[in-house]
Amino acid sequence: MAAQVATTKVPEVRDITRIERIGAHSHIRGLGLDDALEARQVSQGMVGQLAPRRAAGLILEMIKDGQIAGRAVLIAGQPGTGKTAIAMGIAQSLGPDTPFTAMAGSEIFSLEMSKTEALSQAFRKAIGVRIKEETEIIEGEVVEIQIDRPATGTGAKVGKLTLKTTEMETIYDLGNKMIESLSKERVQSGDVITIDKATGKITKLGRSFTRARDYDAMGSQTQFVQCPEGELQKRKEVVHTVSLHEIDVINSRTQGFLALFAGDTGEIKSEVREQINAKVSEWREEGKAEIIPGVLFIDEVHMLDIECFSFLNRALESDLSPVLIMATNRGITRIRGTNYQSPHGIPIDMLDRLLIIATSPYTEKETRQILKIRCEEEDVELSEEAHTVLTRIGQETSLRYAIQLISTAGLVCRKRRGTEVQVEDIKRVYSLFLDESRSSQYMKEYQDSFLFNETQTTQMDTSK
Amino acid sequence: MDESAQRVLEYLTDVEVAAEDVLADKQQIVDLDLRRNRNREALNALRNHPANDKVQVCFGNMFIRFPPENSKSMILKDQEQLDKEINDLRAGLKAKVNRLNQIQGKPDLRGYNLSPLNSNEMKAINSLIKK
Repeated sequence: MAAQVATTKVPEVRDITRIERIGAHSHIRGLGLDDALEARQVSQGMVGQLAPRRAAGLILEMIKDGQIAGRAVLIAGQPGTGKTAIAMGIAQSLGPDTPFTAMAGSEIFSLEMSKTEALSQAFRKAIGVRIKEETEIIEGEVVEIQIDRPATGTGAKVGKLTLKTTEMETIYDLGNKMIESLSKERVQSGDVITIDKATGKITKLGRSFTRARDYDAMGSQTQFVQCPEGELQKRKEVVHTVSLHEIDVINSRTQGFLALFAGDTGEIKSEVREQINAKVSEWREEGKAEIIPGVLFIDEVHMLDIECFSFLNRALESDLSPVLIMATNRGITRIRGTNYQSPHGIPIDMLDRLLIIATSPYTEKETRQILKIRCEEEDVELSEEAHTVLTRIGQETSLRYAIQLISTAGLVCRKRRGTEVQVEDIKRVYSLFLDESRSSQYMKEYQDSFLFNETQTTQMDTSK
Repeated sequence: MDESAQRVLEYLTDVEVAAEDVLADKQQIVDLDLRRNRNREALNALRNHPANDKVQVCFGNMFIRFPPENSKSMILKDQEQLDKEINDLRAGLKAKVNRLNQIQGKPDLRGYNLSPLNSNEMKAINSLIKK
């Protein structure tokens, strides 16, 4: 059939490291949409929430096409209605090549850097730059190395290196320097090596399969590779994707290489960022780089204060801006840092820029499905009655509480050597662990015996 | 043959022709590189040869005794020509592989058409990639 694309011509794509929160949403594998972007009832770990998922799918398509940059989306809904799940779904469907950075609103409050610096860094982590490296290399299997040492013991050594591919074989004359680096890498006949033409750097790729039986005793780290095909002198192209933030870090001279080790980069000067921006747009004009606007997801966005929001307003206008996805579970509440009330705790001018996706509480059937998926994810077998009881608990208390009960009930079941979680196990953990409303009830009844109790109960002020 | 079968056949021919084109170019590069390496070996041999002694050079199926200076410059010129040809072929190959992918309905390779960073820029980026 069709030709294999030349190995030298296939750019390798390096994944960027993705930061994902594990646990509560580990079962999400995508948005669960069909080709027409209609949401399937249960798919890829997602259940229900058809309209929000469809909306997220539309946004996802636009992100993939690179059509929307510098836009912002807000996912709003009650606690436990799948806001984070939808964001995770978007992240999973984007694939490894689009940068996705997730953070919680409270992450920006740190003593080491200012709030706006933390936001800037998050923004720049969510923008990928694709670049290409091109090197001329000589790649072949070592047939023979012959090094002549001068009789006197001192003076320049000379030698010959025979390299082959499946198609050809040739002899290289070796100079002193080359001999040194060959012996430093302990290259022997049968090794497959590459030599970088520009720098003369030698890399051992492994031993050739044809020499696999040369020795019986072989270190476990010995790797066997095929004898290279084609020409000896190849051109190798590698495509890398790095984030703008990573480039900032290496260029932030005051930190030097220390920054990479500590993982703590501190603040980056705005001049450095401007320089990088200039350099990257220069590369883009020269056709050396592609910008990939990624996604920045800020969970619990109501934790940001008014300064952050005005910073976001401005940052979204810059031409190097990712798609911003935010999630909040607040209704009309005070904007942090002000005395004004606003929907979702977000200033009106910011809200005006947002596409808002609303999630609604799950129905009983959906709750049941989610619990089933979580059981599979946590490897817990649930009997039919226990499932019904758990669904009931999920409906009456909260979905999160019901999910918590799965693993605990699973443990109780294993302790009594059962294979399937029964209603008794659920009952037992239900009595052991209180849910939020029972806990508050308990507080109200026994508040006199607790320390520091205030007799007048004040509502928790969530806006601060 | 009915129409759809005809269309499938045409499509497959298209793919095969494009693939053959790519393969031919690849083989051509291999052959040229083989010659380039032979020339390089010859140049190395000439370096260790006494300058006043004539050398035997093979032209087609005939050996001719030739002064080393002249043969050296000849080979060097040939080398230059070979380098150029290989580079041209490689440049052309990219477009051909792209076309093949297109015909087969495969997505374009990511970052395929980027021009490479120069070595200085790469050095800076490398510290980031190879950590």
